[in-house]
Amino acid sequence: MNSGSKLLHNDYLGLLLRLFLGVVFVYASIDKIVLPAQFARIIYNYHLVPAELVNIIALLLPWIELVCGVVLILGIYKQGSVLIINLMLVVFAVAVGINMFRGVDLECGCFTVSSKAKSNALVFFLRDLGLLAIGIYLTFNRSTRFNLIKSRS
Amino acid sequence: MSTSIRQAILLLLLAIVLSAASTGILSDRIPYVGNWPSLAGSNSVIVPPSAVEGDPPFISLDEAAAKYQSPNVIFIDARYPEDYDYGHIKDAINLPYEELEYFWADVTAGMPKSKEYVIYCSGDECESSLFLGREMLYEGYSDVLVFYGGWREWERAGLPTERGK
Repeated sequence: MNSGSKLLHNDYLGLLLRLFLGVVFVYASIDKIVLPAQFARIIYNYHLVPAELVNIIALLLPWIELVCGVVLILGIYKQGSVLIINLMLVVFAVAVGINMFRGVDLECGCFTVSSKAKSNALVFFLRDLGLLAIGIYLTFNRSTRFNLIKSRS
Repeated sequence: MSTSIRQAILLLLLAIVLSAASTGILSDRIPYVGNWPSLAGSNSVIVPPSAVEGDPPFISLDEAAAKYQSPNVIFIDARYPEDYDYGHIKDAINLPYEELEYFWADVTAGMPKSKEYVIYCSGDECESSLFLGREMLYEGYSDVLVFYGGWREWERAGLPTERGK
């Protein structure tokens, strides 16, 4: 095993990043689960989905984040949750990116629905890409040492 | 089917079940299909919930576009300078509501009270246009309109825009 491959499949780095990403997604989901109406308003303001789908997404998306975050922390279904998380992060990057291009001062809806703080789409975008880098690493990190359930691969 | 896809589908199903089971328990109940205004309606006037009696009149995209043709009308962009620089209605003046104390004196020097003003910000989420409209009425501007659909509706409609300061 060369050193790059060692780093890629490092048990401890895999564990650390898995826990980090899991906690980020659990944390991100809570506010949105508790306040779906506010989250729906933020989704609507992205102006990227048909009006009919806004509430469904507001109700469902935070639960997907929570479920994926929890199983990632526990080390169950790691591959499945990392796949969904990566897909979500790509969608978020595109959504924020489009609105950044439009020049709209947008509420992110990333971690909170109540913030009236000044938005900075570039920060949202770069933060998302950072998380995506972790997600991609975890896709290829095959460490199962700390998994609660050790699935075959 | 690969492991990751099978796992992902199971996780999504779990999320759907939890979401459906918890709605109204952990949170306020919202309908599955909300009553959000369609984004296409350029005739519809968006009036924010925070509007009160005595606020400047709100106008639709169509009305704003008509006003835009008049030489007597000046468009005011109430967003932050960074947002304005990203893109704004062509020839609009930037008067950032959140930083009014720094900009008011200089900017309003070029804003005669005899003119008519259309104020906008990013779109329906942003309230700077309304707040700036109130401020301008208070400061003695009499012809003040708020185009609450703002930059987003304008840009979507393909009306004249420009970037830069």
